[in-house]
Amino acid sequence: MSLNKKFRMSLIAAYIVLIGYCVLTLFPFLWSMSVSLTPMTYENDQGVRVGVDIMKWPPGINLFKFEFFNAPGTFENYVEVFKLVPFARWILNTVIYAVVVTLGNIFLDALGGYAFARLKFPLKNFWFTCFLATLMLPMHVKMIPMYNMMVDYGLVNTYWGLFVPKLTQVFGLFMMRQFFMGLPISVEEAAKLDGASIFTTFFKIILPMTKPAIAALSIYVFMGTWNDFLWPLLMTSKKEMFTLTMGLNFFNGTYYTYWQFMMAASIMITLPMIAIFISFQKQFIDSGITAGVKG
Amino acid sequence: MLLKAKTREALIGYLFAAPIILSVLMFEFYPIITAVFYSFTQYQPLQAQQLNNTIVPEDTLSMNLMVFPDEPGLTVESLQDDFDLEFFIETDVGITLSERQREALQYFNTERLLTDFLEGKLKEEVSIKDFMSVYLKREANLFVKYKPKIVGLENFAKLLDDQYFWLSLKNTVVYTAIVVPIQTFLAVILAVVANRGIKGRQLFKIIFFLPAVTSSAALSMIFKLIYAKPGVLNKLLNLSVDWLQNPSTALIAIMIMNIWSTAGYFMVTYLAGLQNIPKSLYEASEIDGANFRTRFTKITLPLLRPQILFVSTMGIIGCMQVFDQIYFLIKNMRNITLAFYIYRNAFEYSKMGYASALSMVLFALILIITFAQKKFIKEESYF
Repeated sequence: MSLNKKFRMSLIAAYIVLIGYCVLTLFPFLWSMSVSLTPMTYENDQGVRVGVDIMKWPPGINLFKFEFFNAPGTFENYVEVFKLVPFARWILNTVIYAVVVTLGNIFLDALGGYAFARLKFPLKNFWFTCFLATLMLPMHVKMIPMYNMMVDYGLVNTYWGLFVPKLTQVFGLFMMRQFFMGLPISVEEAAKLDGASIFTTFFKIILPMTKPAIAALSIYVFMGTWNDFLWPLLMTSKKEMFTLTMGLNFFNGTYYTYWQFMMAASIMITLPMIAIFISFQKQFIDSGITAGVKG
Repeated sequence: MLLKAKTREALIGYLFAAPIILSVLMFEFYPIITAVFYSFTQYQPLQAQQLNNTIVPEDTLSMNLMVFPDEPGLTVESLQDDFDLEFFIETDVGITLSERQREALQYFNTERLLTDFLEGKLKEEVSIKDFMSVYLKREANLFVKYKPKIVGLENFAKLLDDQYFWLSLKNTVVYTAIVVPIQTFLAVILAVVANRGIKGRQLFKIIFFLPAVTSSAALSMIFKLIYAKPGVLNKLLNLSVDWLQNPSTALIAIMIMNIWSTAGYFMVTYLAGLQNIPKSLYEASEIDGANFRTRFTKITLPLLRPQILFVSTMGIIGCMQVFDQIYFLIKNMRNITLAFYIYRNAFEYSKMGYASALSMVLFALILIITFAQKKFIKEESYF
């Protein structure tokens, strides 16, 4: 076999492997989406209302006719979820939780990051070492005292209880610090010579230069918070305070057999994240903060 | 007044860093120190909760004494004769008394309570701790803040005899030992395959990344559908296994799900590392006649080592704490993990002291792994 032919063969093999893994990755999403588009019941040719078996085999999925499990596809399940459970409220709660936590992290991690990158203050190294040490504290070790603290302050089932402990993140601080250290110090020195205070320098000159890091940090924090389960599990017990992940947990316990609703809810939780991810894929994939997305 | 530039900088430095320092002290340091303390105690959250419950003292007393305060002819002395303080506190107010609390009841001002009762001052709802601190002349703090009972090493001794602890530890270790090597292997292979003149590499990356941006809750639901006994996986494989209900397959099912959901995004990390390996190295080796396998083991793997160590450590630490998927999908005790067993003890069995002791084991495991990684990697990783 010539070298060229061998190269072509191996390239084809590479495509087969990659496409195969793509199919494997996409299949669960597409499958659950199909189920979410399947009606609970439908009227058949004889005008009789019949139930749909989403476990039937072969599944009878025909995308051209928009048919799933031999039944006409519908978006009704998505609407039904809003009637069945306070889904709109859960969306609102999740948005509040994720937005507030993201804003907190952008602002506070950047402030702290700048202090640790550029300013001299007593005990700086001590605090830095302390922060480093906290990176290996698992949430499952901290959760009991944190929960009790929130009970003592009466913050269980409140928004405050949800987001206050999450407003800063040592990881975010390190990320911002790293970014600030990479900026040329000459800019700040020039500003200093012009008589600008540290405040002016930070807010007027440094922060605007930080957009790429802030974008990466916000996406990371927003997604982490949106998908967070453990803390909402501890902090919310009332239905109206649930976040979306807690809502799914509620489905899991209650509407056990209503696969269509469960899948519609799962897809609705997932789609915003996929949309954000695709619009910001460059920042996300190239930012190097990929490891540790899953808590 | 103008401060010296240095002092000013220090002040502003603290101003900037204050929120995060405070937050770390409150939500990292305080919890870990408290968790260590809890692990030596018998902490009953239900008893702690009791002190926050509210009562309407007049109603509670009426119930105990079986009289209303406005009935004629009642005096403090006559009421005092029938009044059993301990019974009243335990049964009507509803506190499970500890030994020390029981002793402290000798400082309870019964006379004042009954006087207030007769004067109708007790109509308002109060929390039990406020109620107790009003009438206790001394040691009221015993009722204000719940004090867990210190039991020394009892929790740790109990843990050694607890078959479920060993089971959860074993499951956690097995889970990690199987998931991490497979996900690493898969991710490296995929990265190597993708690291050639492949068209549409960005599209592949996006697709491989999708599970990583999906919440564990949604993934659990999706896999619950796929793993169902009459579900699609069994249909495709022509099997009839109840993947999640059967104790011998449930953990394997979760492992497969985790490998599926992480291998793709680990691959993206490795791909970034591979792109930093100079092409000239491969070209030179090709001229020397090295085949694919030699190039893989002699160039790719050694140069990818720092990434592999870093990412697989993150993988190990993540796997050790696996919780969400277990919480959503595992229904039997034989397949629980350590993180889940901690949760269950703390929040379902109301044994927070014991749960804290269990969490120390998890903490120790993670510490060991982190230090082992530090020893292996001398290079600057992320920080």
